[in-house]
Amino acid sequence: MDKRTAEQDWFERELERRGVSRRDFLGFCGTMATALALPPLFGSRIARAVETAPKPTLVWLEFQDCAGNTESFLRASRPTVADIILDTLSIDYHETIMAAAGHQAEQNLSDAITRDHGAYIAVIEGSIPTGAGGAYCTIGGRSALDIAREVCEGAAATVAIGTCASFGGLPAAAPNPTGALSVADAVPGLENLINMPACPANGENLAALIVYYVTFGRLPELDGLRRPLYAYGKLIHDACEKRAHYDAGQYAEAWGDDGHRKGYCLYKMGCKGPVTHQNCPNVGWNENTNWPVGCGHPCIGCAEPSFWDRMTPFYRHLPEIPGLGPHTSLDKVGLGVTVGVGAAFATHTALHVARKNAERKRNAVKPEEGDEE
Amino acid sequence: MSATTDSATNNHGHLDRVYVWEWPVRLFHWSIAASVVVLAVTGIYIGNPFLPVTGEATRHFVMGTMKSIHFIAAMVFLLSVLSRVLWMFAGNPYARWHQFVPVSARRLKGIWETAAFYLFLKKDSPAFVGHNPLAGLVYCVVYGLCFVMIATGLAMASASAHVDSMLSSFQFLIPLCGGLQMAHFLHHIGMWLIIGFVAHHVWSAFLVGTVERSSLIDSIFSGYKVLTPDIAHRARKHIEEDR
Ligand code: HEM
Ligand code: SF4
Ligand code: SF4
Repeated sequence: MDKRTAEQDWFERELERRGVSRRDFLGFCGTMATALALPPLFGSRIARAVETAPKPTLVWLEFQDCAGNTESFLRASRPTVADIILDTLSIDYHETIMAAAGHQAEQNLSDAITRDHGAYIAVIEGSIPTGAGGAYCTIGGRSALDIAREVCEGAAATVAIGTCASFGGLPAAAPNPTGALSVADAVPGLENLINMPACPANGENLAALIVYYVTFGRLPELDGLRRPLYAYGKLIHDACEKRAHYDAGQYAEAWGDDGHRKGYCLYKMGCKGPVTHQNCPNVGWNENTNWPVGCGHPCIGCAEPSFWDRMTPFYRHLPEIPGLGPHTSLDKVGLGVTVGVGAAFATHTALHVARKNAERKRNAVKPEEGDEE
Repeated sequence: MSATTDSATNNHGHLDRVYVWEWPVRLFHWSIAASVVVLAVTGIYIGNPFLPVTGEATRHFVMGTMKSIHFIAAMVFLLSVLSRVLWMFAGNPYARWHQFVPVSARRLKGIWETAAFYLFLKKDSPAFVGHNPLAGLVYCVVYGLCFVMIATGLAMASASAHVDSMLSSFQFLIPLCGGLQMAHFLHHIGMWLIIGFVAHHVWSAFLVGTVERSSLIDSIFSGYKVLTPDIAHRARKHIEEDR
């Protein structure tokens, strides 16, 4: 065993004070290894790192948001080690949970980002409105854009938590009245930006991100949309427990019908699992009590860019055809158009034949052209 | 391949047969046609699985089978379309790209003349041995549509592919389609456009073949078109000179 550090002693006391046993703690580290798609062996390495490594400072800013991601992260039904990880991080600024208010709170933020310049983690929740000169969201008299620029540019890493911060989300849905932007678009060029979309993002995935950062001292591998691969590397559909019904061809056709009650696949109820990247089926929600599809509701694709515009109508497989409303099926329109083309050609043929016949009759009058053979 | 000729007669007098559609043109035409039929049938099912399936899920694989067939047909389709496009740069003049993309003044003018004929504004269609320029232009759009189907299809397939597989390297297509859901949507719309084209194509082939009594339908099986001697002579010279 390594030499014990003060950090380790403090962490152990902290666990004890909260009634988290050593077994719970190791269990948590194992879960984190799983969430990070690492072999279980990494559990002990994670445990050592979480116990001993200094935890970074964290500032959590909320802009055009509903605090859903904050709720998702903090509202565990029992105290979990994830809370402790979060608590042991020195959270110097978080509007929803900090004690300070008013100018004192803003002073805390400015102190933290000056003191730990280049070392703190910035978590951004909500989109950043740019319309009306940024007037749609101001804090302490400063626009969200102004604050985001200053805080993100001095951070070691920026985490855009939730779909609004990652991709604009609901506020940016057409017609985007406030000119809402994602963090990536509002503060372009951030090198260490991580997008953790979903509405809300899963607390387990954020905990795993912090654990990864603490354990390995760097950021996990990201995809083209800057999402960590451990959480967004796979489609919901490819890890779904209803997948056997999908492949078999067994689908719920209406809420509460026989198929729905038997747990058949929700594809025909508009499930967006086939087009959505996240690990909901593996990690679950509310400490893996269940997840949306598991309790009979189709995935609505909350973790994908422009989900509000592209994934609607939520209970249909495909988007609506512009101008035709949500209840016109593409197949019916297509069939109609095909029949229309057929009818047009039938008419065309009839006209053509009629003209040929008329011609033949006209020619038949002239005797010298009649002897073709 | 030499411009083999034959003599034939029908009730219009003495006619000549010219080898216009070489075997790759005919092969790819029919492999595209066959794969499109299979793709459309399985695609309609994938978009709206309507067959009732009861009993244990482990005993059935209806959607899985449809998707497997769709994917195999998609590979046939993809290879056929690509091969045909390559043949546009290797085949005889009637297989060449300029039959589709109208660049010469004669073909540009031919577009209007053919359109006028179809709209009953003109009595005679201008004579072209290969595709008439209007049809060529339509085929241009259809090839574009084929590539939209291939791009959106590969985008969807890449999303579920194993990270180390070749298929997963097509994930770059997903944002180009506007996201996966848009890829599904465009792919589905594209299918109906292709079905609409096929309806038009089959009908007009039937029309030209039976009402106008031309050798068009026969030519896509045999490769030979039956032409009046002067046109046949020009066509043969055109093919010969090109080689
Ligand atoms: C003329 C050609 C084609 C037609 C008519 C066609 C038709 C369709 C249709 C209607 C769907 C259902 C879409 C939906 O509602 O979500 C589909 C799905 C699909 N097609 Fe095609 N397709 C064609 C070519 C291709 C090609 C070239 C590929 C290339 C790989 C491809 C791969 C796929 C895939 C991966 C799916 C998604 C299945 C899923 O939902 O998981 N298709 N196709
Ligand atoms: S319920 Fe949704 S995610 Fe699950 S198999 Fe069916 S379509 Fe896929
Ligand atoms: S199942 Fe789909 S809609 Fe539900 S949380 Fe997961 S990604 Fe979002």
